[in-house]
Amino acid sequence: MDKNLDFNGPHSMGTTIVGVTYKDGVILGADSRTSTGVYVANRASDKITQLTDNVYVCRSGSAADSQIVSDYVRYFLHQHTIQLGQPATVKVAANLVRLLAYNNKDMLQTGMIVGGWDKYEGGKIYGIPLGGTVIEQPFAIGGSGSSYLYGFFDQAWKEGMTKDEAEDLVKKAVSLAIARDGASGGVVRTVVINKDGATRNFYPGDQLPLWHEELMPQNSLLDIWGAAASPEPMTTE
Amino acid sequence: MTNAKFEAPPKGGFSFDLCKRNEMLLNKGLKAPGFLKTGTTIVGLIFQDGVILGADTRATEGPIVADKNCEKIHYMAPNIYCCGAGTAADTEAVTDMVSSQLKLHRYHTGRESRVVTSLTLLKTHLFRYQGYVSAALVLGGVDITGPHLHTIYPHGSTDTLPFATMGSGSLAAMSVFESKFREGLSKEEGIKLVCEAISSGIFNDLGSGSNVDVCVITKGNVEYLRNHVEPNPRTYTSAKGCTFTKPTEVLSTKVSLREKKAEVNEGGDAMEE
Amino acid sequence: MTKQQANWSPYDFNGGTCVAVAGADYCVIAADTRMSTGYNILTRDYSKICKLAEKSLLASSGFQADVRALQKHLEARHLIYQHQHNKQMSCPAMAQLLSNTLYYKRFFPYYAFNVLGGLDTEGKGCVFTYDAVGSYEKVGYSAQGSGAKLITPFLDNQLKSPSPLLLPVQDAVTPLSEAEAIDLVKTAFASATERDIYTGDNLEIVVLNKEGLRRDYMDLRKD
Repeated sequence: MDKNLDFNGPHSMGTTIVGVTYKDGVILGADSRTSTGVYVANRASDKITQLTDNVYVCRSGSAADSQIVSDYVRYFLHQHTIQLGQPATVKVAANLVRLLAYNNKDMLQTGMIVGGWDKYEGGKIYGIPLGGTVIEQPFAIGGSGSSYLYGFFDQAWKEGMTKDEAEDLVKKAVSLAIARDGASGGVVRTVVINKDGATRNFYPGDQLPLWHEELMPQNSLLDIWGAAASPEPMTTE
Repeated sequence: MTNAKFEAPPKGGFSFDLCKRNEMLLNKGLKAPGFLKTGTTIVGLIFQDGVILGADTRATEGPIVADKNCEKIHYMAPNIYCCGAGTAADTEAVTDMVSSQLKLHRYHTGRESRVVTSLTLLKTHLFRYQGYVSAALVLGGVDITGPHLHTIYPHGSTDTLPFATMGSGSLAAMSVFESKFREGLSKEEGIKLVCEAISSGIFNDLGSGSNVDVCVITKGNVEYLRNHVEPNPRTYTSAKGCTFTKPTEVLSTKVSLREKKAEVNEGGDAMEE
Repeated sequence: MTKQQANWSPYDFNGGTCVAVAGADYCVIAADTRMSTGYNILTRDYSKICKLAEKSLLASSGFQADVRALQKHLEARHLIYQHQHNKQMSCPAMAQLLSNTLYYKRFFPYYAFNVLGGLDTEGKGCVFTYDAVGSYEKVGYSAQGSGAKLITPFLDNQLKSPSPLLLPVQDAVTPLSEAEAIDLVKTAFASATERDIYTGDNLEIVVLNKEGLRRDYMDLRKD
């Protein structure tokens, strides 16, 4: 049996996740592929998870670990919001993720990007990689697909972008990584967060730009061959 | 100040007392006994009025079929059922445990259980045991918020999907779903598609076999269709049947006491307080 | 980073079950036609029975590549034998040749479990059963392969054979008629298919008797 088809193996999100700040807030982006070895266990997963009304998190690494961490952080933030009587800040959310990621670093295989908007500091992105470090960044990238994006972001990210410029950047970045990284794929999901709240967007695979040598998405091989060239159907008679 | 630690009495969960001993025995060359694995095909889909779950009925122990007609669709709550793949004991135990917690929760709240509640209870349990409780589940149900379908993996990760497959036959079944599933199927179309997906697992995956079980959950109603399709009847039975060539010899029909009865002390000892 | 190392194994196991029953004037050789690996079926229609000589049939399960290599080797050896002796090899001679061939690869064995069935020079049914490295024995009936552990006790119960230690040597053939033997083999396979995941799809039954060779097929469970 194929060793890569080990269904008892943990689910990992070979992922592309990005977060960028723009003029009025932040935009988070992610692909939608979850795999066990070479099998795509979910081709439409949602790796951008809501923590509060104004804070979201992008998850990468082990699916189980990142889900449990974000579940706990959401629970703590709900409590915190009630006790405080006002929305939690992005910094508090990032700090809670850090606390769990750092204290349980021997148990967890997950990297996260926390992004959101609050009235004190505006739009903020925090990267929380494997060991439990927190880094406040103007933009953050993560997951296996991020290695294809460092140079692109160094070149393409600009201070004070408009919402549309920033979302185009996120879309372009994730689709570039999907094109090169086998562990990333599916659709692009984004969340735009600013003072007016959060908006979720969804870009199906067949509506993404095609990069160098990429093939058009196909439903069936017969679409490529065309009806005329299609092979004789197999019959047993 | 002494370094002596006092172990608090265990509050529950598994006992790991024998792990060290077993590790030692394993190193000495003892072969650990195998577990009943349900090399399985289980599926679920959302149709226009609710959720349909499906499962095959074969349980295997290595290459041997241990049970030709087992039940893999477990009861969770009156409106929630759960298909289990993996180690039979784990799927059985974990669904029973959560189903009992759900019932207590219903007594407490006086409300119908929600699918997300069972999802959270299952995933927290599985996450706690870091994949050692090997249960891969397809959870489906209809609650106040509508129909829901989830998959849960042994490590505790979960997915929310319109159609899902699990177990060793999941690839065979998923290929059927990926080519034929669409939104808003009728009940009949849904049952047919689920049966086709399970049959694909039964015939193409050696870990899956025998019959198709189906469970249709709609708002306020559950139809558990046990052995909905039986595509594998016995192929040959000898016309004259088989008998033992020599009947078992009867040695004795008399029952005799092996030991003398214990004597009863008529007076009786005084009972200790 | 996990350690990268070659984890290649020269063997696979393709499953399958073979049975042979010898009678006074016939021999029944049967095998299922499923070939599989792991939890996958490679084909539902692969014959495990190979006709080596006019009166020798070899049924083998195990690793198909080794089985095929073994069959081709024996076919070639038999062709040489025919050229040198201008006759067909007898079943007992083929039995010894098979044993020698298997033992030749004692330290890198053919992963093949064989039953050789046929008629001896007097036209009496004979069955020879083997392990992977060439130990063999003349018996009245035998089962080999993935379903052997299910079928052997059943055959032991239905066909009691004389002890090979008895002197003078007892005849190994079973007392059944040809039709009874075929019925027994069909029952054995139908039952083994119920419980062994590697046995199924179709049953190929070959009967050798003084009329010649007859092939018969029966459906088995396909799950």
